[in-house]
Parts: sequence; structure tokens; C-alpha cells
Amino acid sequence: MATILTENVGLDFPIYGMQRSLRRTLFQSATGGFINKKDLQHRHVSVTALAGVSFQLSDGDRLALVGHNGAGKSSLLKVLAGIYYPTSGQVWVDGKIMSLFELTLGIDSEDTGYETIVTAGMLHGMTQAEIESKIPEIERFSELGEYLSLPVRTYSMGMTTRLGFSLATVFEPEILLLDEGIGAGDARFTDRASARLKELAKKSAILVLASHTDDLIRSICNKAALMNSGRLVKIGPVDEILSEYHTEKARSELQATAG
Amino acid sequence: MTVSSPSVKDDPKIAAAMTRGHLRLLVTTASGDLLDGFGRYDLWGRIGFLDIKRRYRRTMIGPFWGTISLAVFTAVMSSIGVGLWKQEPAEYMPFLASGMMVWLMLSTMITEGGNMFISSQHLNRMRMDYSILAYALVWRNLVSFFHNLAVYLVIVAVFLPKLITPSILLVVPGLLLVAVNAVWVALLLGMICVRFRDVQQLVATVLQISLFVTPVFWPPHLLTGLTRVVFVDLNPLFAFINVVREPLLGKTPSLWSYLVILVVTLVGWVATFKMFSSYRKRIAFWI
Repeated sequence: MATILTENVGLDFPIYGMQRSLRRTLFQSATGGFINKKDLQHRHVSVTALAGVSFQLSDGDRLALVGHNGAGKSSLLKVLAGIYYPTSGQVWVDGKIMSLFELTLGIDSEDTGYETIVTAGMLHGMTQAEIESKIPEIERFSELGEYLSLPVRTYSMGMTTRLGFSLATVFEPEILLLDEGIGAGDARFTDRASARLKELAKKSAILVLASHTDDLIRSICNKAALMNSGRLVKIGPVDEILSEYHTEKARSELQATAG
Repeated sequence: MTVSSPSVKDDPKIAAAMTRGHLRLLVTTASGDLLDGFGRYDLWGRIGFLDIKRRYRRTMIGPFWGTISLAVFTAVMSSIGVGLWKQEPAEYMPFLASGMMVWLMLSTMITEGGNMFISSQHLNRMRMDYSILAYALVWRNLVSFFHNLAVYLVIVAVFLPKLITPSILLVVPGLLLVAVNAVWVALLLGMICVRFRDVQQLVATVLQISLFVTPVFWPPHLLTGLTRVVFVDLNPLFAFINVVREPLLGKTPSLWSYLVILVVTLVGWVATFKMFSSYRKRIAFWI
């Protein structure tokens, strides 16, 4: 049974290369003598990306993360993928995780489509034989044909998406993490992509998707989580969360215009 | 502010999964990284191979460019070295060629080690065992070395067959020692350089000077006294060059070189392991 369990997850991003200029700025403003300079020497600049995030997901859960830009959706996905370690709290997982966050696949876009398939597959823990057995399926689903023999840097955005999406879904991971942008592409591909995701979700997998596209979320997900400033505000049924998100968005826009 | 809700671990389903041992904490330890990474030889072998392939894509003679530049360098430098240090050409040329071969491997490993995490932007979009990068780095440099080695051996076998003695087999443990140490050097320098970007420049400067103060161009026996102790006996770079170069010249490396390497290996790995254990989690933030 696939499970994701997060408990009080917090993530503070240290920002490097800012200290010195920050220190100088503060030093200048501190000429009045209000700020303790000694303390500032040791202060690091950091951004709180996540704070106190707790939730649990199990088989069949297809969770959409919604929220403004910078609400912490991508950070949360990266913590779940094991790319970033939470600076507080814990993440427990049962199941094989696969993540697809950016359109750059593999390691270098000089590599051909076929080379990328094998490297990316291996990076996600597959053996060469497993990957090779899946190549026909990737060829079919990505519809890239001859292009697979060309360097990935020659692909259009949509083509890269197709390759990435095929790669992410063909290995049937138990836990799939997708960031927005993936699943974009032309309308026909988006339809096929959501059909495939639904199929995948049926195979007792967990899906976590960060997206701004309501239609995509409605057609794929059965749960949604609203995030705001790194906090998980609410988790619940898709329609409820989406309407809450839109109300909140309208309200903040109104405030912005009023202010 | 944070409401302490009942722990999710109280959930009976979760508790059951935990007792079954299925649920794992999403953490990679330093030893887990090093061991699992090493087990993925298919992956680091491939990454190393693709790195070489990429570097020479659209060139006609590919990796042999390295060999050609080395051959030209040896030919030109030998004429100077022979005059400068009153050497026999038949002795000096293989000495210089083999020494430069090893030096190139070592210095490239060190430089690339410093750049290892800086140039790995992909670590921000996928999880992988970081040690895989170090193994790939060592592997591709060994492969480049083998290119040069093959050419060197053919030339020596034709023109100076007396240099090929049973000692040549000692190249294997020599390279193994280089590889074992290159892994920690890459991890340690990689971590330091990605966090403190000045260090990379410092490493380049130190390496440049090292080429001249390490017996690569000049035979070590020309130096005596304190300078010899500092630049030859206590120079770890010389020890590593020695254990690979001497077998290629038909000689047995001195025991002293192996001793220096033993100390360097132990100290280096202990320090690296400590650093890696403490800071592995931070590396993704530094990139």
C-alpha cells in the first residue's frame, strides 16, 4: 500500500550571496544605533517555504495542490520527492516515488531522446533492461518518432512535455509527483494525458499534482489542498477547495485594488 | 500558532504500516548514499560515458585529441627538459609522458571535483545519490587515462621494450588507490566549492603551482635537503603520481609513497564522511 505521511514539515531556504549586501544595508540603517550589529553578523537570510505541513495520503489519493505562486506547492513537491530535506518535521513514505518537475529531463539536453529515456529511467531507479522493454510504449505514447534520435535541445516545449510525461507514467510508479506545466501541451495531448493519469491513479497509486488549471485538477484529482504562504490551509474535496481558493483570490485582488 | 493536532502516526493504518516496516523515513544517510550510489554502477558508468561522448560529439577523432595534445607536449617539452636537466632522451621522454598522463588525470579529477555540485543543476529537480556524480567523475577520468595509456604502451613496446617489466602490473593497484581517493576528493571539494564559491578559484591556482613544484617535468632525485622533503617526500600528489608512473617505467614504487597514500586515504575519507554526514542535507540548498 502506497502511503505518504508528513508531520509538521517546515522548510527554510537559506539564501546565499545576500548576507553581505544585507549586512551593509542594515549597517547603514543602523547608524541611528537601534540595531544590534553583533547579532546581525550571525544572521542568515532565509525564506520560509513551508511551515507546519501535516497530511497523509494513501492508495487512490490524487491530490491537487492549489495556491498562489509562492504558496509552497513546488517546495512541498520537492520535499516529497526527497530533493529538499525538511528543516523541521518528518516525511514518511511507502512506495516507489517518481517525480517530474521541470521540462528538462535527464542530465543534458545535448543527449538524444533515446539516450535521455535511458538516463532518466535509470535516475528513477530502473534497470537498463526494464527501460528498454518500455521504449516501444514511450515511442507510441510520445508520438515523437524520428525525433527520438535527435538531441533533446532541438525539441519544442510541447515535444519535451510529451517525452517527459511518457517517461513519468510509463514506469507506473506507486507515487507520482507532478508540477504544473507538465500535462500542458496541445489539447489532444492534454486529453490523452489526463486519460492516462486517471488510468494510472486506478492502479492504486498516489498522485500529487501542483497546478493552476482547474479543468485538469477536476478531471484527475479527487482531493485538493489549499496552500498559502507555506502553510497547508485546508485539505478536502476538489470542488470545495477550488471554490475556497477562488473566493480567497477574488478577495485578495479586491484588497489589492482597494489598497 | 501551530495547533498540535493528534499525531498522524496515531492513525491505526499508519501505525500498522510502520510496524510492518514498510513506511520509511524520507532521509538519505551519508553511508546510504555512498553504498547505494556505488551499487548503481550502471548509472554512473552511463553518466560517465555520456559525458565523454558529449564532450567529443561532432569532433572527428574524439577522445584521442587528449592523446594527441599529450604527444605534442611530450615531444616539445622533452627537448627542453633534456637540455635543462642533462637527461637521456630515451629515459626522459617516457618519464615525462607517463608523468604528464597521470598529472592530467589527477588535476582534471580535482578541478572537476570542485565543479561537481556547481554544475549539477539537475539535482534541484530530481533526487539522486550524490555519490553517483563522484563515481561518474572518477570513471570518466579513468577512461580518458586508459586512452592515453594504450597509446603509451604501444609506443613503449615498440621503441623501448625494456621498460615493460612485471612491475607494470602495479599500475592496477596504483590506479585503484587513485580512484578510491578521487571519490572523497570530489565529494569534499564539491561540497566546499558549491558552498564557498571562492574556493574553486583557489583550487585552480594551487593546482597550477603544484604542477611546477611536483616532480612531473623534473626528476625527483635532483632535489636534496629540506626542499626534497617538502616537495617530494611529503607531497601527496607526488605519491599518487609515483604509484602509477613508476610501474609504467618498469620500476617498483617506493614503499614510502604507499605509506603517504595510506595516511591520505584514511584522513581524507574520515574527514569527508564527517562532512558528508553533516552537510549532505544542505547541498541541495547550496546549488
